[in-house]
Amino acid sequence: MAFIDIAGIDKRFGSFKALSGIELAIEEREFVTFLGPSGCGKTTMLRTLAGFLTPDSGTIHVGGKLLSSPQAVVPPEHRRMGMVFQNYAVWPHMSVFENVAFGLRLLKVEGAEIGERVSRILDAVGLRGLEKRHPGQLSGGQQQRVALARSLVVEPSILLLDEPLSNLDAKLRERMRTELKTLQRRTGITFIYVTHDQAEAMALSDRIVVFNQGTVQQVGAPRDVYERPANIFVADFMGLVNKVPGKLVERRGTSARVRIGEQTIEACTSDGIDPNGAIVVAIRPEAIRLGEAAPVAGNNVLAGKLVESTFLGNIVDHQVDVSGSLMRVQGDRQQAFEPGANVNLIVPITECVAMQGDTSQ
Amino acid sequence: MQAAAPAAVADRANGRSIASKISFQGLVLGFAVALLLFLVGYPLLWLFLGSLGAPQSLGLEHLQRAFARPQNYAALVNTLQLALGTGVMSVLIGVPLAWATSRTNMPLRYVIHALVALSYIMPPYLTALAYIFLLGPEAGHFNRLLQGLFGFESGPLNIFSMPGVIFVIGIHVFAFTYFLTYSALKSVDASLEESAQVLGAKRWQTTLRINLPLVAPAITGGALLSAIDSLALFGPQAIIGTPAQIVFLPTRIYATIGSYPPRWAEASALSLLLVFLTVAGLALQRGYLERRSYVTVSGKGVRTQLLNLGPARWALLAFCLTIVFFSAIAPVGILTLNAFSKSWTDPLSLSNLTLEHFHTALFLDQVAVRGIINSFKLATSAAAIAVLIGAAVAYLDLRTNVRGRRVLDYLAILPLGLPGTVMAVGILLAFIRLPIPIYGTIWILLAAYVARFIPLATRSANATFRQIDPSLEEAGRITGASWFHVIRRILVPLSRPGLLVAFLLVFIPAFGELSATILLYTGGTETIAIAIYRLNDLGQLEVVSALAVFTIVVVLTLAALVSWLSGSSWSSSETPAVRG
Repeated sequence: MAFIDIAGIDKRFGSFKALSGIELAIEEREFVTFLGPSGCGKTTMLRTLAGFLTPDSGTIHVGGKLLSSPQAVVPPEHRRMGMVFQNYAVWPHMSVFENVAFGLRLLKVEGAEIGERVSRILDAVGLRGLEKRHPGQLSGGQQQRVALARSLVVEPSILLLDEPLSNLDAKLRERMRTELKTLQRRTGITFIYVTHDQAEAMALSDRIVVFNQGTVQQVGAPRDVYERPANIFVADFMGLVNKVPGKLVERRGTSARVRIGEQTIEACTSDGIDPNGAIVVAIRPEAIRLGEAAPVAGNNVLAGKLVESTFLGNIVDHQVDVSGSLMRVQGDRQQAFEPGANVNLIVPITECVAMQGDTSQ
Repeated sequence: MQAAAPAAVADRANGRSIASKISFQGLVLGFAVALLLFLVGYPLLWLFLGSLGAPQSLGLEHLQRAFARPQNYAALVNTLQLALGTGVMSVLIGVPLAWATSRTNMPLRYVIHALVALSYIMPPYLTALAYIFLLGPEAGHFNRLLQGLFGFESGPLNIFSMPGVIFVIGIHVFAFTYFLTYSALKSVDASLEESAQVLGAKRWQTTLRINLPLVAPAITGGALLSAIDSLALFGPQAIIGTPAQIVFLPTRIYATIGSYPPRWAEASALSLLLVFLTVAGLALQRGYLERRSYVTVSGKGVRTQLLNLGPARWALLAFCLTIVFFSAIAPVGILTLNAFSKSWTDPLSLSNLTLEHFHTALFLDQVAVRGIINSFKLATSAAAIAVLIGAAVAYLDLRTNVRGRRVLDYLAILPLGLPGTVMAVGILLAFIRLPIPIYGTIWILLAAYVARFIPLATRSANATFRQIDPSLEEAGRITGASWFHVIRRILVPLSRPGLLVAFLLVFIPAFGELSATILLYTGGTETIAIAIYRLNDLGQLEVVSALAVFTIVVVLTLAALVSWLSGSSWSSSETPAVRG
């Protein structure tokens, strides 16, 4: 059994199905991110893991011990986990020191040791010298550091983070992202991180769990999830993607031939693909090169007509008509084409992922 | 932007608009400001001068003499006892109730909340009257019940005592502590508790170390407000205190003015003392709240966690029901019962039911009928004038940079801290003689009501205008509408519901006003509160009850209208703040 074992978790709020049939195994020292749009169930899963919510069915084991089941839930205060909240939840009536020391006092740690451990952790999160301040006198970033220090000082084996960076401005968010990652590597604590920001998820995680409508869509390393999305939802959610409708011509193992208009390309595919259903090929705009060059082995070549190019600074965004469907291509800013020019789209076969579904999804 | 030409055009346009502002804006706003200074500033000035012996003489000897009198000293001590008692009582009952309705899964939370609001909306002199029926030493219902149950020789409880006064006022003013604590508890985000819980804190540890310190400023603030409000409640102090020969500052002031000849200087001095107590209390409360206010209102929705109490929630409900039974159900119930009973001392039966008292109160009794008519007239005009002035002050504060607008704003809020008795003494001193001798007419009551309740209108108008983006008016101006036109066609229509609330917020307390009226009325200008007060003295208790029920119905209906208009029947926000 994995360090954290989540099996068959269902959770309803009234008639709303927040979670259904969640299965997850998380190893010790892993950085796992629950990713998804709001209302997808990621926070519900986190709060169920923390013990604030009782599952309607299923079990959660941590370190081999049963913590949650519909019959009994070990309350949050007995789980020895840490949790960081989106709104920091730093207690406004206590100084930074008192906030951080709170958990240690509950553990009846000796006075001298409390002082030592608090100042060590405040050093680690870069808050040295602010012990006497009250949260009202701190910036958002500093408050979030207090929240982190407060959770880390009691040395939990699992730290739950509920969108901890979403209230910070973009610059600070990026810096805290790096710090969080370093902190996790150094402490070896298992981080379970909730976010709706796919860039954040990819930057931080060992593995990403993509949620939608209360179910797990895909679990995998950031690169897997980005390059091999399991379905249209994941492909879409992870970033900009062309969803090209097509027809399955032939299939051999994990590779397939798909007809797009009058042209046929090679694509990768997963198992369960229905040959009679609608097919979509997902292609990321940055995977495509434009050129007139002859085809190279391992690449698909699609003929198209350039509709419009938009200069965006670091890239040029091209709209290309391929057999009647419009594709976006992120091109080199040195490369310029006139609208109406005939262009070849060169895409590695590994970048074309055929999947079930139609583009309206 | 292009530099020279447009700037010149702008200058010219500005010049013109400034000119038109002075003619229109100046006229309307100036009139409102003059009225405010005349109704609030002028009487306060007289109050101060009066304590120095004006107009006969000027000196400190009146002040000295006033504080040397043992009767005044006793009144001060009693008043302080009352404030302390009600402050403590408000915490003892207000805090548990607030916790129960805001943070637990106790059943009937909404009902309890509404009944606390009812105990607050009910004019406190009516509560006092009701408790004469309930806890009068001989015939009081509760006393008779206790006699019957435990075989006491006479009624064991006597409302005519210091604890009696504290109790009757306490079950009214505890609403301050309740509402402040309630909204503070409501605004503690669950994540603050969950953070503690995750770190290993048990439920009681979280409550004690997180929740309680977080809402402590609200509790203290509420207790102080309760204490301050209790100082000013002439009605219950007179109705319960005077028969028991317990004198408080307001009733003492009433006595010094009612003596022959009236001792004006002493009344002014005592009024200043009362003002001092009130202002000190308010300053303390403000300073305390500002320094230690953690629970800030954030734009984001707060998630609150309701504590599952299990079977204990029924015990808590029993406690809460007991409190609201005494503070709302029993007083309203007994007044209603009496109003429909042929004789209030007889038990309830079909043959004892009658509508005769309502007939007397609403049609036959001259004082009562006159009181009802006067109260409606006065409350309507006072509310209209107060809204006009309040809107002008709020407009000056929010939409212009006229110098001195802050002072004006302060002056318009100031009467909030002034007991009705004090306001009446100031008004009396100011308007009893030339140049504006309106004493003995209904106008002096109108002046007093406007002066007393202008803060309610100002605050409400201020809140209303704040919600209207000035760009809406600017868009009107740039389209070519004049200032007056913009006010009439944009600002007023947009703020109509808010201004209606402001009107009602003045109307409600003005309708049942007692503590200023008692000093200012004469034969012919009685109000409904005076009618109740006087018929009570004459022992016509059933007619008094009918009038009381009538008042409660009017006040409750309008309060319900206010809460419907504000779209928040389940919030603590705006309930009339001064009364009595």
